[in-house]
Amino acid sequence: MNETLNTIFNRRSFRKYSDRKIDKKTIDLLIKAGLSAPSNVNKMTWEFIIIDDKKILEKIATVTLYGKMTKDAPIAIVVCGNLDRALPGEGADFWVQDCSAATENILLAAHSLGLGAVWTGVYPTVDRIRNVSKAIGNVPLNIIPLALIPIGYPIDEEILSEKQLPTDRVHYNGF
Amino acid sequence: MNEAYNNIITRRSIRNFTGEIVSKEIIDLILEAGLAAPSAVNKQPWEILVVEDREILDTIANLEGFYTKMTKKASAAIVVCGNTEKTLPGLAQIYWVQDTSAMTENILLASHALGIGAVWTGVYPSVDRVKKVSELLDLPSHIIPLNIIPIGVISNENTFAKEIDKSCIHYGKWTK
Ligand SMILES: Cc1cc2nc3c(=O)[nH]c(=O)nc-3n(C[C@H](O)[C@H](O)[C@H](O)COP(=O)(O)O)c2cc1C
Ligand SMILES: Cc1cc2nc3c(=O)[nH]c(=O)nc-3n(C[C@H](O)[C@H](O)[C@H](O)COP(=O)(O)O)c2cc1C
Repeated sequence: MNETLNTIFNRRSFRKYSDRKIDKKTIDLLIKAGLSAPSNVNKMTWEFIIIDDKKILEKIATVTLYGKMTKDAPIAIVVCGNLDRALPGEGADFWVQDCSAATENILLAAHSLGLGAVWTGVYPTVDRIRNVSKAIGNVPLNIIPLALIPIGYPIDEEILSEKQLPTDRVHYNGF
Repeated sequence: MNEAYNNIITRRSIRNFTGEIVSKEIIDLILEAGLAAPSAVNKQPWEILVVEDREILDTIANLEGFYTKMTKKASAAIVVCGNTEKTLPGLAQIYWVQDTSAMTENILLASHALGIGAVWTGVYPSVDRVKKVSELLDLPSHIIPLNIIPIGVISNENTFAKEIDKSCIHYGKWTK
């Protein structure tokens, strides 16, 4: 099986991280993967906020119930939509899809580089958007955090249960 | 850099297909990659339709208000849908869009890894596009098409190629 497919098949969410730091070069690689995502009409509606300040990471962890592992991560990447770059009218919401594709790219890149990461949902929960923006401090109102991705080197103790992939969701030539 | 990483940064939208058939084996691998996507609370609120019927593919290619012309020469179209009966309740229901977008990116990356051309063509949230696709594919109301992904064997023929006029190259002194 080719290495890329293996990476896609074996990517899992990691929520426990070792103390090991992530170097700047590796962070740049993660961001480049995010930037390589497809986007509607090539609008690239995304912004990436990299948090490596322990104080902010801890603050985010305390205001997000489902993101509390962020306090143990050396970094977190917050993938945001920039509403000023979105299309007008009905197409405005495509930013969610662009940013989701970028998030998946970052998760896969992290996995390929031996890192552990997890997508924690922020948008569209109003409280989570407000809390994450506030914890970071100066996020303008047109920048909407979609996903908070804590990232670190995994620790061996984290044992993942086998995931079932139901194939009854696939339909040929009709539902 | 590792192969999986390179695959992410070299993926591009492919819109030129030869019209040749992509084998079922390859399509199954691509779909399996889709199913490996993360989803909020592991709800996996997705459904995938694979359209291989030439007539339906041609209809997709000509749908008004879509950018799906390349489907004309595609081998198949993968229609990624959300299933609102499998989602989280309430406000969190709309997470299906993010889950199925992650699935779509996996499908595009797997296609690229296997040397198959693919392009994400948007359906949701355009009300008109959702309606037309739902009618065409007999989708029940709880199945919402996020996109159509035409896939096919990549054609080397570059339709964007420009005519090149070499008369602007001059050797030596200017000659009229
Ligand atoms: C949500 C979404 C909708 C898209 N819709 C279309 C479409 O309808 N037709 C099309 O030809 N390309 C579509 N694309 C592909 C983009 O045009 C393409 O990703 C973008 O131009 C960047 O080029 P790349 O994918 O080669 O990196 C879509 C992409 C996304 C993410
Ligand atoms: C849109 C979205 C939101 C998610 N939000 C959270 C979250 O808030 N906290 C968390 O621990 N995991 C979150 N996850 C991760 C899922 O729980 C995980 O992907 C799912 O259980 C499948 O497991 P896997 O990623 O290991 O394949 C989210 C995933 C997605 C796609």
